[in-house]
Amino acid sequence: MQSSSRFKRQTLALFFIVSMVPALLVAAIWYWLTQVSPSAMLEVDFSHLVLPVFLLGLLPAIVLSFIFAELLARPVRDIHKAVSQLAAGNFVPPSVNTSRGEFKEINAALTEVALHLQDVISAASSETALIEAERNKLRIVLNSMSDGVFALDRDGRIILFNKAATQLTGRAITEVAGQLAEKVMPFRQNGELVMTRWLATHSGTPDKLGQWRNLELYHSDGSSLFVNVDAIKLDGDPNGISALVTFHDLTRDHQLEEMKVDFVALAAHELRTPLTEIKGYLDIMQHESKSLRKSDRDLLDRSVASAAELSGLMNNLLNVARIEHGELNYSPEVIDYNEYLKNLAPTFKAQLASKGLAFTINVPAHLPLMMADVVGVHEVLRNLLSNAANHTPSGGSVILNVRADRGFIETTVTDDGCGIPANAVGRLFTKFYRVSEFKSTTRGTGLGLFICRSIVDAHGGHIWVESTEGKGSTFGFTLPLSNIAPTATKGDNSISITRGTHGWIKEHSIHRG
Amino acid sequence: MAGSKNILFIEDDRPISEMYARVLPKDMYKMDFAYDGAEGLQKSRSKHYDLIILDIMMPEMSGIQVLHELRGEDGQGSPDTKILILTNLAQDKTSREALKAQADGYIIKADIVPSQLAQIIDSLLK
Repeated sequence: MQSSSRFKRQTLALFFIVSMVPALLVAAIWYWLTQVSPSAMLEVDFSHLVLPVFLLGLLPAIVLSFIFAELLARPVRDIHKAVSQLAAGNFVPPSVNTSRGEFKEINAALTEVALHLQDVISAASSETALIEAERNKLRIVLNSMSDGVFALDRDGRIILFNKAATQLTGRAITEVAGQLAEKVMPFRQNGELVMTRWLATHSGTPDKLGQWRNLELYHSDGSSLFVNVDAIKLDGDPNGISALVTFHDLTRDHQLEEMKVDFVALAAHELRTPLTEIKGYLDIMQHESKSLRKSDRDLLDRSVASAAELSGLMNNLLNVARIEHGELNYSPEVIDYNEYLKNLAPTFKAQLASKGLAFTINVPAHLPLMMADVVGVHEVLRNLLSNAANHTPSGGSVILNVRADRGFIETTVTDDGCGIPANAVGRLFTKFYRVSEFKSTTRGTGLGLFICRSIVDAHGGHIWVESTEGKGSTFGFTLPLSNIAPTATKGDNSISITRGTHGWIKEHSIHRG
Repeated sequence: MAGSKNILFIEDDRPISEMYARVLPKDMYKMDFAYDGAEGLQKSRSKHYDLIILDIMMPEMSGIQVLHELRGEDGQGSPDTKILILTNLAQDKTSREALKAQADGYIIKADIVPSQLAQIIDSLLK
């Protein structure tokens, strides 16, 4: 308003000065007339009326000045007011009171600007509200999730961290924001940082999914967390997110699992001693009681078979505990697999025969040597044959085929039993998994195939199953060949060891003759 | 029989050692028993044994300590005595390497029956 009143003052001054010109002119002419020929024209001396005449001339000038100044200043004032309103963010059309064309045009233009701005602003504000609402929705979703979520920018720095992530890790968003993820969220597997490598390996490749199971992370209080992690890489995200990471807390599951395994190991170990005695005395009975009646002999044989089965189950329980604790150390050595199977065949054959099953072994005569842990190989064979025996009705057959194939020896165990439902195949090799259809009909811990897989994996081989429900199953596994030539193995070691499935005896400790 | 051999069982579980002793022919083997590591070590020094059957987890002194005492630092002690470890303790690779130098064999109890042990003893003392 100041500037418009200044404008008015200036206009007023201008008009006043301009209006003073005719007043002065009239006064000057009057004065000149009185001076040039006072007597000729008039007898009266009018010279003393110069000032009143001047003032009289000035009066309309002043009045006109005011009127003109006001006429000019009002629209300017209105325009100023309108522009000020616009500047203040109040987009109302101006009401400039004027009949002058230029001001009308300005008024129209200003009205248009105001209306346009009104449209733009209302559109923008509804968009902002929408974005704000979406952001709120996203925030609510992220914060109500029980899984931890965080996002990384291109440099691997954290730019988003949800509530669950804070609760699970004990780290506030303020601590982690802008920090490198590998520093504040160091997911580890066997002590190795996995995310960092993944981010580095797949840099520039969008939409790459990363999934890890059972990674370790430290809570801010120093305790360990076990989590499953899913991550996805984004490319060209408008918010600058280059990776989104979700982690699911498994610590409790992990602890329960650990307790289960520990308990099982303890129980199995404690049960081993009495079982050793049961097996021992049954064995003594079998050897000492030559004069048993056939029916008693049958009972004894059944007891021996059951004790052997129990022993196998407990070995599985102990092995799982060792696998879980990383204590199952395999010591691969050169094995003449042909010879090895020849030695084991009678035991396996007898076990399958007791269930009314025929057993055939097909091993090529010239088989390369194998590099594997003797006890491990026995565990795999024992489990696969025991499964075949348990799921094949009496009168069926079990065939063990062996062949060398591209650096590995492949062993398959085929039965013509009940087969496995297709939906169970995928989970067959996982721990404690039992095919629900078999739970009522066969005994088992759901550990055998898990152990088999662990053993085969540890050797760098692989294990698989092919099965048709109602027709039978084939389980196969590969174990690596030895790179030692068959002839070089015998008599080379100064201390050679006879290693069986139950331990070892030094070769040179055995007296010959 | 002239060729009767002396065997010492060092095993804290009495029924277990009695069970194994039962399957060994008395005319071929003369058997003594010790029920903890310290007693076992003491007995092993009082007389010559052809074979010592040694458990690992025992009170007073573990089988591993007894083994070290008998074989000594260089692993050459009591060369005329064979030592067979008979335990339910599964061994890992490291302990196997260490024991190979001093013991003549390592057998998991739960994985054998007495008749198998008799065969192993037979092959060691033949």
